[in-house]
Amino acid sequence: MTDTAMAATALGKRFGRRWGLPRSGEAGTGGGWALRDCTFRLPAGRVCAVVGPNGAGKSTLLALAAGLLAPSEGRVTVLGTDPASARARVGYVAQDKPLYPQLTVAETLLVGADLNPARWNAEAAERIVSAGDLNPKARIRTLSGGQRTRVALALALAKQPELLLLDEPMADLDPLARHELMGTLMSQAAQHGTTIVMSSHVVAELEDSCDHLLLVGGGRVRLAGEIDDLLAAHARVSALSEAADLEPHTVVESRVTGRQLTALLRPAGRLPDDWRPTRPSLEELVLAYLRNPQAAPLTPATSEESAV
Amino acid sequence: MTAVVATGTQDRGAARPVSRWGTTRTVLRLHRAALLVWGAAVLGLTGWLVWLTEVTADEARAQQEACDRATQDWCDLTVGTAGYSEPVGWICLLTAHAFLAVAAFAGGALIGRELENGTVHLAWTQGVSPARWLTAKLAVPALGVTLGATVLVLVFRWAWGPNRDLIGTEWWEGDVFVTRGPVMIAYVLCALAVGALTALLLRRALPALGVSVAVTWPLGSVLARHRDSLWPTVTRTSGSGEVAEPRRAWLLENGALVHGRPAPDVTYWQCEGTPAALQRCLDDLGVTGYYATYHPESHFWPLQLVEAGIVLAVAALATAAAFRVLRQRTA
Repeated sequence: MTDTAMAATALGKRFGRRWGLPRSGEAGTGGGWALRDCTFRLPAGRVCAVVGPNGAGKSTLLALAAGLLAPSEGRVTVLGTDPASARARVGYVAQDKPLYPQLTVAETLLVGADLNPARWNAEAAERIVSAGDLNPKARIRTLSGGQRTRVALALALAKQPELLLLDEPMADLDPLARHELMGTLMSQAAQHGTTIVMSSHVVAELEDSCDHLLLVGGGRVRLAGEIDDLLAAHARVSALSEAADLEPHTVVESRVTGRQLTALLRPAGRLPDDWRPTRPSLEELVLAYLRNPQAAPLTPATSEESAV
Repeated sequence: MTAVVATGTQDRGAARPVSRWGTTRTVLRLHRAALLVWGAAVLGLTGWLVWLTEVTADEARAQQEACDRATQDWCDLTVGTAGYSEPVGWICLLTAHAFLAVAAFAGGALIGRELENGTVHLAWTQGVSPARWLTAKLAVPALGVTLGATVLVLVFRWAWGPNRDLIGTEWWEGDVFVTRGPVMIAYVLCALAVGALTALLLRRALPALGVSVAVTWPLGSVLARHRDSLWPTVTRTSGSGEVAEPRRAWLLENGALVHGRPAPDVTYWQCEGTPAALQRCLDDLGVTGYYATYHPESHFWPLQLVEAGIVLAVAALATAAAFRVLRQRTA
């Protein structure tokens, strides 16, 4: 077991006109860069949220890590090797949950068993599927979106991956199924030390379960690190606007209402007590960065280069 | 530290690769419907041909002989056709064009549909690399179409050999030539490879289906048009009378030699009259002899093998290109 589940160095992907992820909705940007200059390191055993608006490059990042796409520049390593070599140990669920429509649920699981003979856990697959009250003889094409998600997750989990890449996994699940499957995921992560990377544009969905954050915006990494560290590195302050000098600190967002200035910033040193610094919530932090694309990113880019 | 651990885990992943049987079974599972349709088509054509040959051929022959004994004209047109040679012609036409169906399947259902609806991403993130996926996707159907085509060819040869007089077609005629030899198998394999390549390039099922058919059909007709030049022809000349090609030869060109050179356009047959007048007419035209250019029936196998070689070379190129396209676009 290596201590790095996933690392990227100056990773970039530019799509031509045709090839890419045609159905993901994130690659419809023509021939531009879907992801650029992306550098981060994800320690093993974490549950990492990849957050960003639609079109930010989340799907591209996950597809690169899964070995479905070749990077245009830079490189990504997965479980200490390249994505192609790690294929057997990585689980992946694409955003649109592709499954073979002509197969039944049971046949789909048999395909998973045939293609992962060394790692397949049939019992786990059956358990996840039967929890959703799915008829094993039902054809995939007759299933609802949420039921397809369940089957796709069963396939990915029964493979017993060391790294699980999930692209918008919970998008079409009802709250009950979402809660139950999230619980299944988390117990898997806890039991087997699986690293989970899941993307979402709903931050609230991830706040309870994730301990690591990767904020992607405009094809670049804006924030990367342990959520606790990231929150601790930022402060929300409010002060009288004429008295406050934000200069030494890195300002992510600031707003003046009347004489009152509120800001979210990365303190460069100790903040004056009368600024009333408070720890931001994850959602506040993410929204502040997304609203202010010019804010300086915070990524362990420099420490990453020495680690790889 | 990281590097040492990394090689260790890599070995663990590589130590137990996906068994070949696993991918084979998956391909069979996914394309069960196509396999059943192909099997039914092969069985249906074979059964039809066997039934025609065993049951109706003798009857047709007896009718024709009776007709001949009665010294009627056009016996082969009025008697034999409807019962035997016409349906055999249909079977021959369908068999010779089976490669178009294979091209449509390979471009559409086999590869194109998977790329279009994203299920490749499911396959590639199970334990199967894209190259192994494409290998299985090509190898399993290749085996199936080769088996089916072999059966069709053998049964057609069995039926055609003793009944060629009834069927009334020659060994060199387009569909009969294809259906009686390895060329047929080469065409279905080539269609499979071309279909896979177009699907990987276009990434859409329906366009790939159309384009792969649109590419393989002209390939077949271009080769059929130039089939006579795939092996050196035999030319026989004579100074005295017209040259008759051997029995069952594929006559390509015959005519008069004008000053020793073939002149197919010289209308020597319009000369008539007394032998002296005829000779004078031929002398005026400059006719010094006659020639015929043809493929004897013994050229069947060389022609088959050269054409099959060309088609298989195209198939190999298409396969190599398909793997290259795949490798460039995935990790």
